[in-house]
Amino acid sequence: MIINRVTLLGQKDHGKSTLIGNLLIQTGSVSEQRIREAKKTSKSLGRNFEPGYILDSFEEERVNEMTIDTTRAQVKYKNSGFEFIDVPGHEELMKNMLSGASYADFALLLVSAKPDEGITDQTKRHLFVAKMMGINKLVVAVNKLDSVGYDKKRFDEIEVDIRSYLDKIGFGKNEVNFVPISAYDAENLVKQSKKIKWYKGKNLMETLVSMSNLEKDDKNKGLMISLQGLFEGDESTVFGKILSGKVKKGEKITILPSGKEARILEIFVSGGKKSSATRGNVVTLKLDRKVGREIKGSVASNNKSACRTGNVVHALVLTTKKMQGSSSIRINGVEVGCKRFLVKKAIDVATGESVVSKTIKPLSAGSVEIELERKVASDNFESTPEIGRFVLYTNKSFAGIGIITD
Amino acid sequence: MMMQNLKVLEERSIYVIREAKTNFKNVAALWSMGKDSTTMLSLTRKAFHGKVPFPVIHIDNGIDFPETYEFREKLAKKWNLNLMVIESEIKPEMSGYACCGENKSVALKKIMKKYGFDALIVSIRRDEHGIRAKERVFSPRNKEFRWDYKNQVAEVWDNYSSRDDSDGHIRVHPLLDFNEIDIWNYIKKEKVPINPLYFSRNGYRYRSLGCTHCTTAIKSNAKNVEQIMKELEVTKVEERSGRDQDKEKAYVMAKLRALGYM
Repeated sequence: MIINRVTLLGQKDHGKSTLIGNLLIQTGSVSEQRIREAKKTSKSLGRNFEPGYILDSFEEERVNEMTIDTTRAQVKYKNSGFEFIDVPGHEELMKNMLSGASYADFALLLVSAKPDEGITDQTKRHLFVAKMMGINKLVVAVNKLDSVGYDKKRFDEIEVDIRSYLDKIGFGKNEVNFVPISAYDAENLVKQSKKIKWYKGKNLMETLVSMSNLEKDDKNKGLMISLQGLFEGDESTVFGKILSGKVKKGEKITILPSGKEARILEIFVSGGKKSSATRGNVVTLKLDRKVGREIKGSVASNNKSACRTGNVVHALVLTTKKMQGSSSIRINGVEVGCKRFLVKKAIDVATGESVVSKTIKPLSAGSVEIELERKVASDNFESTPEIGRFVLYTNKSFAGIGIITD
Repeated sequence: MMMQNLKVLEERSIYVIREAKTNFKNVAALWSMGKDSTTMLSLTRKAFHGKVPFPVIHIDNGIDFPETYEFREKLAKKWNLNLMVIESEIKPEMSGYACCGENKSVALKKIMKKYGFDALIVSIRRDEHGIRAKERVFSPRNKEFRWDYKNQVAEVWDNYSSRDDSDGHIRVHPLLDFNEIDIWNYIKKEKVPINPLYFSRNGYRYRSLGCTHCTTAIKSNAKNVEQIMKELEVTKVEERSGRDQDKEKAYVMAKLRALGYM
């Protein structure tokens, strides 16, 4: 079964873990033992039953009632499979949120309808991240509607505000659905809610199923193989993963950025000899000549200009801390130092507006020009995500993410 | 329990195992002779053309099942494994927390230091336990083998961080995405040799294998891989229910793992 990976998004305390917990219970996807254990923990903490404890397994998470680190849980619903990725909503835990969300196919945003909660900067920041990561399907679950008597006006108000923000960041044209729920009371999760009479649409799980078509087309893209290493140190036997296209035995390939050329003598797919291999396959290629030692992070293709090979990239970055001192990026499995990290514009994530600036505030975004210490194989994120995205480090510690724009 | 696309899982695991081999100078793998770590060895052989290009460590407390030792000898020979057996000192009264926590970790620390391993491949899966579900694919341990679970490294996309400033080592988890049923599906497809204790004898079988002190069999008539898969499709019981309960209590797993438990 192909699993749809759905990342949760949203401000801390808007109900992400509670929602997944109740979805696991309502769909029968969790053992009695896990539910019993969560009940016992709730009781020992003197609290009402908290379904979120099925996911929040660290003692610190349960005692402090907040998700510290990302986790995943699978749900089978009718004939579709989903893997929900829970993420922390807390601003200080952005690195853990990014770690979880980066594996998602689509997103489920929670916004609390409580009068004092609603849309926050963090809600918008999470949407900004989803857009950056190329997630283009979104469900917005307006949660805690029980706290406002399942008021349709509040639901509509949140929908209008979210849609206007999505338009600002260029998400508007994508598939977005709004569903009113109460995660804690399990209203409108897997059954139509009797308490939300004004809502005629699909319940949450049905909405997810209707969006779960994950067919990815290869757009007839040419061959690109991301190279990982040399087999037993032999410079004429390389292994890697096919990012796009098809590779055939006997073909001539160019290694980028080095420009070295070789002909393929043998292809092995997952250890077995084959005459060709396609996208997704992990392969070993036996070549007719040596292509050098430093091949990790290179791209092999039958087209000499399959991707970019320079040492300057323009990117959109989101930082989790202040950039200071030396910086580097990790792209396609290799870390490369930055000679120059030049901020051109700063983007206010809350409004989506950009201004000319030389610095980016932490937890904010910006457009940058990066000069790397050496040439790398890269591409625009939109064309080839695997070599168009990177992780950012400052003074050797994680500082954010970036996507190559041109 | 959901069965996932095996080809996707297999390719991801091979990618991770190869990342381990290319990112570190001195990799080793842990092998308990259970279904998961044996599957990992089979995937490693696929990644490296029939070879397992790193040492395979068994932390032997001397109280594993006789079938397990026999299986170890047979497969080590068949797959030409560079097997390292390290004996951990066990006292008769030891069990659960004391045994899995301190005892095994002390033995592992010794051998890691002796050979200078900088990465250790461990075959845990996310669906085994809520704590394991929170793990990273590349997960650092400090000098004392501690897991800083409250401040894990970022792991965005497939950019596994191989950096280690703590003088410790990195745990590599290539099977994190597999479910229990996927492991059996792989064993079936690849005809992976498997410890006979997993199959039913006299109405009982072991679903999760530990040592003789802490593992109990479950009621089952599943005598082959197909029957095990059928059983798993409908079960509502946790996989590790036959393991000593104190390991599975609310926070004991987190504490054990923070101390270096695999």
